[in-house]
Amino acid sequence: MLLPLMLVLASFLIFLVPLLSGTDPSEVILRARIGERELTQETVEQFRHELGLDRPLTLQYVSWLGRLLRGDLGVSYVSRVPVGGILWRGFKITAVLASLSVSLAFAIAIPLGVLAAVNSGRWLDNLISGATQTGVAVPEYWLAPVLVLVFALYLGWLPSAGWRGPLHVILPTLTLALRPIAYFTRLTRTAIIEVLHKDYIRAARARGLTEFQTFWRHALRNSLIPVVTYAAIWLTSLLGGAVIVEVIFAVPGIGRVLYQAVQTTDLPLLQAGLMVLVGLTVVIYTLTDLVYIALNPAISLEKPH
Amino acid sequence: MNHSPRFRLGQSRAHRHGRPPTDTATQSAVDHSATVPEEQAIRPGARLIERQPAAVVGLAVFILIVMAVILAPVLTPYDPYEQELSDRLQLPSAKHLMGTDSLGRDVFARILYGGRFSLVITAIAVLIAATFGTLIGAVAGRRGGLVDELIMRVIDLIISFPSLVVALVIAAMLRPGFWTLVLALVFSAWTPYARLARAVGLEINTRAFIEAAVALGASEWLIFRKHVIPNTLGPILSTAFLRFGHILLIISGLSYLGLGAQPPLSDWGAMLAEAQTYMRRVPTLILAPGMTIFITAFSVTLAGQGLASMFSQSERVSAERMVASRWFRPRTKASAVHGRRRHSRA
Repeated sequence: MLLPLMLVLASFLIFLVPLLSGTDPSEVILRARIGERELTQETVEQFRHELGLDRPLTLQYVSWLGRLLRGDLGVSYVSRVPVGGILWRGFKITAVLASLSVSLAFAIAIPLGVLAAVNSGRWLDNLISGATQTGVAVPEYWLAPVLVLVFALYLGWLPSAGWRGPLHVILPTLTLALRPIAYFTRLTRTAIIEVLHKDYIRAARARGLTEFQTFWRHALRNSLIPVVTYAAIWLTSLLGGAVIVEVIFAVPGIGRVLYQAVQTTDLPLLQAGLMVLVGLTVVIYTLTDLVYIALNPAISLEKPH
Repeated sequence: MNHSPRFRLGQSRAHRHGRPPTDTATQSAVDHSATVPEEQAIRPGARLIERQPAAVVGLAVFILIVMAVILAPVLTPYDPYEQELSDRLQLPSAKHLMGTDSLGRDVFARILYGGRFSLVITAIAVLIAATFGTLIGAVAGRRGGLVDELIMRVIDLIISFPSLVVALVIAAMLRPGFWTLVLALVFSAWTPYARLARAVGLEINTRAFIEAAVALGASEWLIFRKHVIPNTLGPILSTAFLRFGHILLIISGLSYLGLGAQPPLSDWGAMLAEAQTYMRRVPTLILAPGMTIFITAFSVTLAGQGLASMFSQSERVSAERMVASRWFRPRTKASAVHGRRRHSRA
């Protein structure tokens, strides 16, 4: 029920983005296209009409939304290519990057989180927890240059930028993985520690299960629910959040596409890109909520009496 | 405190069982050797260091950084803008503590003065976001019903916008300037405070002292001012510290991308961007601003976590949980439950 409403509200906000600048987009585009030559009022007017910018705002919004619903995302002001294709190409690349780094984060964070939780309060836990706290505060735009410096410039093992082969994937993935590693480790640790104090764990122990069985069958599975859910959400946030990493490593993903759209005031590209990202996020949040509710009998959709 | 009823249940149950504080795993590095009875808390300073060593150190480091930035002219004889081309791209030396950049400017001086921009803008953004968010959230929690529903939907909407991209768009589309950047940061930064204040508001509605106040004929405004807002302050303060590092990272990121501090002004993010061309020759050029951003964000986060676990002695909300509960709040159910509870009491 809420989903369409959210999407419509989001689309309205995004539609209003061009108004932020307070300048006439048609003039901006014309200047970009014809350079420094004289701009007559007549040409601008004509172009405004061509773009449909002389119509009332509500009408513009309705027709924009209508085209959006039919899958027509518009044509780029700058390259005059349909925006959909540009975004799709960027999206595919970012999706690869995001899923690789989240998988990597998973592979590292869950064992680390388990280790920390099992050794809760001892030096290993302190070490891991300390490291994850540090990891959260490391900015990507610093980690990336440092990685480039070490692995590309000093050691020469990996390319420093670009997107042409598997080797180019490594550094951006590592950079993007650091923060989720830190978050997932903490989340896993907290969840496991919490679960280990539940009654059903005590019951399992009382039934005579070994410590390993208790942990593997009861504790781990139950505590991974929040981590998995969080990972899904992290994946979406990476789609838009990889901007800086993509810019640094010259990865032609959707974040860099949006960054370039911002820089060149390519409004249709920017609006469509935002719409795609927000749409994806809203849909995934809703799905995650549903999955979470389905996995967890403690929450039900029925109203309490 | 938490938005998710599940966590609320889980936590309160844990309470009844009198679970020792270490197990709730509030803040990882912080040692909660803190089952100290209230009456023992005679020397608050000493207690604090004992209970929250990491937080105290974090706060101290953060204060040091702020002091250093304020006292920049005392700490360095150099002008951050003065070029000395004969001294360009030097490694650290006694003359230039952190070396010089490609135009021969003293990096240490640029770090100190650059911090002014980053820290001031972050502080203002956090302050505005916290104030605005708290007010909005407290209203939502106290009023409940349609107002609450509406505010929560707006928050949901804002959360689904990728915050860095939105900040980019706002910074690039509006006229560049200080307040544009503040707006770009505040746009998505106020929501955590609103959620927190709302949770506090909802909780307070169920308390007897509110009922008493209503029965005594206290006006809604008085209740709001005297009961709701003061009760939000603890968690809001700790969240403000926790979010400070995050906002600092965003503003530095904007500057890194060339949309934050505009030349001749410079900040740590912009310094990182400038340094990249020369980093092979002079690695300190990226190490210095990077380490500064990192240490600042890290220390303020440590302080925030200490505050959070102090304020959550009764509620026990961990930072992880606050992050997590942003997403795990099943829509409409929680508010439906609370809305009902409130009305039945009213």
